[in-house]
Amino acid sequence: MRIQEEMSIYDKLNILTDAAKYDVACTSSGVSRKNDGTGIGNCKLSGICHSFSADGRCISLLKILFTNECIYECKYCINRRSNDVVRASFTPDEICTLMIEFYRRNYIEGLFLSSGVLKSPDYTMELIYATLYKLRTKYNFQGYIHVKAIPGASQELIQRVGFLTDRMSVNLELPTAESLKLLAPHKTRKNILTPMRLVQNCMAENKQEIIAYRNSPRFVPAGQSTQMIIGATPETDYQIMQVTESLYQKFELKRVFYSAFVHVNEDSNLPARTDEGPPLLREHRLYQADWLLRYYHFQADELLSEADPNFNVLFDPKCNWALKHLEEFPVEVNRADYKKLLRVPGIGYKSAGRIVRARRLGTLDFEDLKKIGVVLKRALYFITCSGKMMYPTKLQEDYIARNLLNVGEKLPQDVVNMGYRQLSLFDDVRFDADKVVRAI
Amino acid sequence: MKTVYVCTDSVTGIFSAVYDAWKAQKTEEECGISLGESIEQQLFCDYVEVEETEKKAVTVENMIRKNMGLLAYHDIYQAALAADEEKGDAILGTMLAAKRLKDSKKIMEHLSHPKVEKVFELSRRVGNESHFHVEFIRFRELESGILYAPITPRCHVLTCIAPHFADRFPLENWMIHDKTHRAFAVHEARKKWVLVQEAYDEAYKEEYEEQFKMMSEKEREYEALFKSFCKTIAIKERENPVCQRGHLPLWYRPNMVEFS
Repeated sequence: MRIQEEMSIYDKLNILTDAAKYDVACTSSGVSRKNDGTGIGNCKLSGICHSFSADGRCISLLKILFTNECIYECKYCINRRSNDVVRASFTPDEICTLMIEFYRRNYIEGLFLSSGVLKSPDYTMELIYATLYKLRTKYNFQGYIHVKAIPGASQELIQRVGFLTDRMSVNLELPTAESLKLLAPHKTRKNILTPMRLVQNCMAENKQEIIAYRNSPRFVPAGQSTQMIIGATPETDYQIMQVTESLYQKFELKRVFYSAFVHVNEDSNLPARTDEGPPLLREHRLYQADWLLRYYHFQADELLSEADPNFNVLFDPKCNWALKHLEEFPVEVNRADYKKLLRVPGIGYKSAGRIVRARRLGTLDFEDLKKIGVVLKRALYFITCSGKMMYPTKLQEDYIARNLLNVGEKLPQDVVNMGYRQLSLFDDVRFDADKVVRAI
Repeated sequence: MKTVYVCTDSVTGIFSAVYDAWKAQKTEEECGISLGESIEQQLFCDYVEVEETEKKAVTVENMIRKNMGLLAYHDIYQAALAADEEKGDAILGTMLAAKRLKDSKKIMEHLSHPKVEKVFELSRRVGNESHFHVEFIRFRELESGILYAPITPRCHVLTCIAPHFADRFPLENWMIHDKTHRAFAVHEARKKWVLVQEAYDEAYKEEYEEQFKMMSEKEREYEALFKSFCKTIAIKERENPVCQRGHLPLWYRPNMVEFS
């Protein structure tokens, strides 16, 4: 047996950050709380990002594991018990000092505390509780805390932690029960959904209490979220969206996060390693669809179907929907109701709100829409202002698709440089895009 | 003939100019506001220097709050902080437009009006920059235990961001140094924050600012910890500097520890 020397806080932070980086949720939104004047910290409803890492993801919270020691054997996880990695654990005090010192320098917005399962779920949850309790009472920290509930921990512990944290999340890990059984043999669907339901019920109860007693402590005020891994198992986008929708409807989750599968372990049950890297575009499309569910009054069934179970590679889900439902267009901006406006590609929920308010005081034309924030290069095929379209365009699927591809966010280099080239009969710079459209 | 009111680039200045223009009961075409340093004189204009007083500014502020509502005041105030030469004109134009409206409180919804649109845009710009600063300000602990943060903003964002930190750190002594506009927001523990102009002589500037470089013992350690945290949290397989720049423009990075 090797006896380990006491590790420095620098090494510990490195190891436990590295182990936590695959957790997705780093939001600090959903709760608004002022400082009562006796401690440190407050919360903003919109949440605040404090930095962005090299992968473009936000750094909002001090995202760490309490420990990366784990008794479970989840195939996709770098910290599974059979892996030979350096193990480390924080103490509650270490986390508190680190947290407060980072926070007062405005490095971070709060704490995101997850953990490997040390000894037993209850033992780990107890340690997490001890950390939060210290942070909230001894240091009087009033900022944001996000905690992972360990599946299998006792009800009572989860309830106690719930009163100290702002957001709680239980990871769904994989979209279906079969996949979970295959890749995370120690976790069961029931084990994950039970705490989720518990938190939901406690939140509902707590709402009643707050109505009766305004100052009663608040239980998970920023709601709960979950995350699942995309691309490690063969589920289709349609299945994933169905799961997401039911989580929003039946468990009243605030957010569902998707995490593109990153190969960290070799295992026969995992998909073969390729050179393509994580399925980032797929993850992106899922997030776009997720937004459509939450802010744009879309149903999962409208976006995908059994027959067409995956998202389009070239178009975002909303554009794709619009192209398939041209009978709903064009929409008259000066008259259409809010929900109709929301369905137009290029009009977001903010611009839709502004349009509804601005048109009460005068008719809008395309110039106004541009200033309001509408992305006209996408919207122009689907809208009219006072009965007129911006340019004479055809309302045909392949015509619009072709044009949308041409003005896509990034123009191909040869289109940009077109002006300086000798023209010839046979090279059509848009040929590639055409081919792609015909192929779909 | 058009009358142009000339004032300094400050909220008090612009509001005083609005006061004078309002009092003269001019229409939109007959008056304008231009900021002191940026005058490009035009033909057929009468240039009038505005006498700037706190009283005029407060009167205008109350008038906006009462007649146009708090939300519109918020937008106008933020627009007055923007780094833009036409902001005075835009604010005056918006107010004159509001006067003609049946319900002046709805003025900021009237986005098809060019002056209102301008105020909306300026306010959004200042709001965005303030938000970026709330996110990206980095305090460092000086030898005395005071938290000090230098910033180099385009707009006058100090008054927008100081309340946030006053609420967040009520028990800390902190100050934010706006190097562009040579001003400080200073907060003493358990007290209200104050806005202070840089008052020291140019000659002593360096000597004076030397004391902002004397950091506490622990400071270096936490800086190193955070730097390594930022580096470790990134997933190598997902590296995407373009996305990072989109969220965190290079402009803000010189003042941030993790990029130094």
